[in-house]
Amino acid sequence: MALQRETEQRIRHELRGILLALLMVAVTTVIAFALTRYLDVRRGSVIYLLPVMLAGWHLGLIPALVAAAAGLLWSGYFFYSPFYAYFLSRPAEILNLVLFMIVGLVTSHLANSAKQHAELARKRENEMSDLYAFSRRLAAAPSAAEIYLAIEEYVANLLQRNVVLYEASNSDDHANQSAVPEEMRVVIGEIQSGSLPATTIEDNKGNTWFMRRVSQRTPDFGVIAIDLGRAPKNMVAGTRQRLDEALSDAAATLERLDVARSLTEAKMRSETELLREALIGSVSHELRTPLASILGAATVLTQSPVIDKDERLKSLASVVHDEAERLNNDIQNLLDATRISRGQVKPRMEWIEPQDIVNSALERRRRRLSSHSIAVAMDSNLPLIYVDPVLVEQAFVQVVDNAAKYSPAGSTINVAAKRNGHDVIFAVEDGGAGLTGEELSHLGERFFRGSRHSTIASGSGLGLWIAKAFVAANGGRIHAASQGADQGTTVSLFLPLAKDAPQPEPDSDE
Amino acid sequence: MSEPSPVVLVVDDEVQIRRFLRAGLELDGFVVQDAETGADALKWVTLKQPDLIILDLGLPDMDGGDVLERLRAWSTVPTIVLSVRSNEAEKVRLIQGGADDYVVKPFGMAELLARAHAAMRRQVRASSGEPMVKAGPLHIDLAARIVTLNGARVMMTPKEYKLLQILAAHAGNVVTHQYLLKEVWGSPHMHDTHYLRIFVRKLRQKIEEDPTQPRILLTELGIGYRLAIPEPSKPTMQ
Repeated sequence: MALQRETEQRIRHELRGILLALLMVAVTTVIAFALTRYLDVRRGSVIYLLPVMLAGWHLGLIPALVAAAAGLLWSGYFFYSPFYAYFLSRPAEILNLVLFMIVGLVTSHLANSAKQHAELARKRENEMSDLYAFSRRLAAAPSAAEIYLAIEEYVANLLQRNVVLYEASNSDDHANQSAVPEEMRVVIGEIQSGSLPATTIEDNKGNTWFMRRVSQRTPDFGVIAIDLGRAPKNMVAGTRQRLDEALSDAAATLERLDVARSLTEAKMRSETELLREALIGSVSHELRTPLASILGAATVLTQSPVIDKDERLKSLASVVHDEAERLNNDIQNLLDATRISRGQVKPRMEWIEPQDIVNSALERRRRRLSSHSIAVAMDSNLPLIYVDPVLVEQAFVQVVDNAAKYSPAGSTINVAAKRNGHDVIFAVEDGGAGLTGEELSHLGERFFRGSRHSTIASGSGLGLWIAKAFVAANGGRIHAASQGADQGTTVSLFLPLAKDAPQPEPDSDE
Repeated sequence: MSEPSPVVLVVDDEVQIRRFLRAGLELDGFVVQDAETGADALKWVTLKQPDLIILDLGLPDMDGGDVLERLRAWSTVPTIVLSVRSNEAEKVRLIQGGADDYVVKPFGMAELLARAHAAMRRQVRASSGEPMVKAGPLHIDLAARIVTLNGARVMMTPKEYKLLQILAAHAGNVVTHQYLLKEVWGSPHMHDTHYLRIFVRKLRQKIEEDPTQPRILLTELGIGYRLAIPEPSKPTMQ
């Protein structure tokens, strides 16, 4: 049935080509008529090569041949004596026309094969760039799952079919694999172990899926299921053979690119990463408990009457307090970084007054900012924004911290909240170390710190990275600008306005 | 100064935290009693009614929230919970479960004392019937329903007054969004936080010197609002 449909389609396609070719000949004929009638041109039969070439290039061989035959007829009519008649009187002219026919045929053939060559070259080029993109993706893949996804998309693109890849894995903890029905999992297991070379199954929509290992040589690349659609049984064998060939090409490519090693490395990388993050998480937590005691005790000391009377002791007590607080912030940054890389940042959105976020952040950092002069300018009628206020505040605190850290004591830090188009912008401008173009380009990378900045203040290079992640979780972005070294820095948080800003409640009592 | 010293029960399993809390609270004039476990704390409270409870949430024998629930079944003693950061939902739950306020670890002594005194004053106000709440230049007479700012009468709509009244009744302590919305607009609007934002903006325009940098009606992000009251100078600090 499908075969019949395919043939029908091809015939329809050719008929359309022939019709178009005849149309081109007709247009040419109108021009030829005008040439002979009004301009008295008598040696113009070459004009009929034009539709032949065009048809050969765009429509294929058969339409080109039809165009040649029609052209032959009409050029006999217009350009050979007796003019405006289909029959020819002189033998030389018959020869002339036969020559025309031969040139037409050769032209159409050349045009057609040139077109095919060009298409083939373009296809090769696409394949090469696909392959290049695929190999780059493999090299950069952060996890095995990412590699399997790449293989799946690569094969799907190559075969031009729906494919599903079942990862080579002993554990059942992958989400897409746990969604696989039990009987299916048995089949996959058998194929993966090699006891069943390949099979076809039918899904509940009546589609036939052909299943086999991606590579017959190694189970590492997983088991692939290819959608054959509603193909009849006798069709499957032919399609299978074509797919087998295409797949063995793909498998050879995978082997050549050393996908197996990439997979092992990615698995190891993600395990190391997990271990490291678990370690950071638990160590940070253990460190915080004693820090809470140190910080609390320091605040009691600074308030005790005995120490309050002695300036030297008082300053020592505040050293304990400030350093403990700094340590606590560093630990908080590590915990936040862990939370971000585990994808555990889940914003709790609510409507909030933008100024509230700025005020809360400045209040939280009042002690640290006390050595700077803070100039606040906030528009009084900013619209409400729909964000997680706690996350945005934490991002803003990071930005304010940086401003205080990298600008000299006594200098002014300008804090602004304003509306600009579809965003509310929180801006922090300091008169400090500034950023060079080079430093700007690395800004916001995890652990990035400019060498100049390291000499000014200690830090982990996590702050702005965390801020970016928190703001991004709220649909916003961070932008940093600086005129250059020692020219100060302006960091702006852009938070998008929601489309449906809330109206006051309907039964307002005013 | 003939009043007896207030008694505070500190419930925390970390010995170092208890040590600094004891020092700080004693300096402030409290008599301090310790409990390491939830069971100990509940037993102690039934024997002697303290004036204040400071309750850590991570106790070895039971969840701090459960201690609070059992306590609130029969006692209104002012209670401040010690919470960890990054869990606004838990803080809201605890306040709705009857905690008067919270501080986030690590915290400074001044912050804890401010919350504690506010909660204790509320208890006193409730029992003595004192109608006047003073938040700096803003005076709220809860009996006469009159609000003045620097002595001048402030006119308000009924909903604005209702909002301010609830905050004043809890002066110095946090009040959750949900509670305010339920009391002023009714239960169906418990989650319409934007009503609250818009009314607070109007209120601030009436009572704050600079509404963009409020000093009286403060926002607790993700939790609610707090009417700030300046700490009276403490004679106990000598």
